[in-house]
Formats: sequence, structure tokens, C-alpha cells
Amino acid sequence: MLTLVAALFYSCSEKGEKVYSGKSFVLTDMNKKSITYPDITKGKITVVGYIFTNCPDICPLTTNNMRLLKEKFPRRDYPEIEFVSISFDPKVDTPEVLKKFAEVRDLDLNGWTFLTGEPAIISDLMHEAGIISIPGDSTVTPAGEKIIFYIHTDRISVIDRDGILVENFPGSSLDIDKAYREIIRIY
Amino acid sequence: MNLLFIILSMFLQHSGITIENPWIRNSSTGTNTAFFFTVNNTGKEADTLYAAYGDFAEVTEVHETYKKGEDMMGMREVPIVVIPPGSKVVFKPRDLHVMLIKLTSDVEKGMEKEVILKFRKAGEIKIKAPVKGMEAMMMKHK
Ligand SMILES: [Cu+2]
Repeated sequence: MLTLVAALFYSCSEKGEKVYSGKSFVLTDMNKKSITYPDITKGKITVVGYIFTNCPDICPLTTNNMRLLKEKFPRRDYPEIEFVSISFDPKVDTPEVLKKFAEVRDLDLNGWTFLTGEPAIISDLMHEAGIISIPGDSTVTPAGEKIIFYIHTDRISVIDRDGILVENFPGSSLDIDKAYREIIRIY
Repeated sequence: MNLLFIILSMFLQHSGITIENPWIRNSSTGTNTAFFFTVNNTGKEADTLYAAYGDFAEVTEVHETYKKGEDMMGMREVPIVVIPPGSKVVFKPRDLHVMLIKLTSDVEKGMEKEVILKFRKAGEIKIKAPVKGMEAMMMKHK
């Protein structure tokens, strides 16, 4: 069943096709600014990762891989690449939480936007992107707070200037050189 | 302080369990993080890790990251981890880890944090683990 659902989802994000079926989404960035995505990256190459901040292992790795990739493209030499991290856990990942997540990791946010938004909008975006996140294990803290750990698609995507999906990479185990070459090829 | 730990770990040697290369990934108050290390069992009997505790997190659990389907990743609690005699079990990114949930204080690079690992035979082993950022990964990746 899951495979079937997954297959349905995947069909929405084929290589060589317009990502997000050409839709736009009104989201909020880590500075609480309203952002229409992917419009903000129009005419630029986008490197987008999908994360949730309660994730202790995979998403920090994915985020770090984006940082390593970004370091290969100094802003002054490559101003036309935008990095975007979008949370699929918007109830937890408020702009403040995303900001802290980036700050703790000393990320260079010049050319890197963290996005969250209304759950319904995020859910639509993730559906279009083919990102699946299923609540998996959870832990209840002594204070009674339930923390959900998602089983999720581990992905970083490269999108070209026309919003066409170039490649989906495994986020937490990204081959940095391969992704680098792919971006250089289309830059 | 380090000397004390060397002496302490010498005393613990009889159980055959030693902890090597411990480190904690940096994170901030209210979030979660993971503790990584290698358990070396030089003894003649298997031992079992059944719990862990860090006083700077609301909950501490033993976890594993696992792959699901083509490109999905998840994480789940594992009740026990058996360390066979004469073997090493590595707790590492994208694999086994001790999960520190809802940190009650910032866990910053350069700090040292104490975590207790609870084994059935070796008992409680206290570890002082340095906090490292992602650069710790780089060295271990290769
Ligand atoms: Cu975990």
C-alpha cells in the first residue's frame, strides 16, 4: 500500500518536469517574512532540502551537506544559486525555531532561506514535491509533551532556472562532488 | 580530570566494556541531539546496553536510524543493543545513537557533557563526551 502511495507521490516530481506542478506557495521565512516559493528563486538555480528540526540525525546531515555544497559556490562568483530548506513539520518549526536551528549551526544565510508555513500549504507543497513524511516513533517528555519523529523522504533537489527538476539527491548522504558537477553543468 | 577517567576506566576494564571516541552533536535548548561512541567488548561474555541517561535532556533513549523504501529515513527506539564478546559496536550518524530529547541547556561546541550508559553486566558507565559540530562528521565520513 505504502509503495503504491509512494509511487503516486513520485510521479509528481519527475526529472525534467516542472517542480511543484508549477504551483506557488505563500510561506514564511525564518525572519517571519512572507515568501512566495518557488517564485523567489525564479531565474536562479535552486538547491532545496526538506527537513524537520526535531530530527537529530538525518536532517542535520542533510543541512550540513547543503552547507558544504554552498561553500563550493561563493556568493560573489555564483550569485544565481539559492539554497532553500523547507520544514515538513510546520507546527513545531516556527520561524523562531528555524532561525535557532540555523544559528546553532553557524550557517551562512546569505543565499539560504529556511521556510515554514500553514500546515495545509506545506502539505500541498510536500505532496507536489513528492516528499513523504509519516509520523513514526514518538516520545512523551515528563512534562507531557509529545515529540514526533517522522519517517521521511531524505532528499535534496536541484532545480534549474526554469523551475525544472534537474536531480533528486539523497539528502543525508549527498555526494557533494556529484551535486557540484550537476550545478556547474547547468549554471 | 582526564586522568581520573583513565583510572576509572581501568577499574571498569574487568567487565570488558570500554567506550571509545565519544562525541555529542551540538544543538540548542529545547531541541534534540545525538550521542555517538564505540562500545568495545574485550570480555568473554556478551553485554547488553539497555538504557542511557543525560541530565541535560528531558528524555534519553537508545535509538537507531533506518532506511525505509527507496529513499526514506526514519528513527526508532531500540530496547537493547547486545555487544557480543570480542567485538565493537559503533554508534554513528545514520545508525545507532543515544538520543537526547528536549535539551534543557545548550550543547555547544567545545563543551564536555556527561552521559551515563547502562549495561546489564558492566553496570553504569559514565562518559564525558566532547561536543562537536558537523566537522566531526567530516573526519569519520571517509
Ligand atoms: Cu534518535
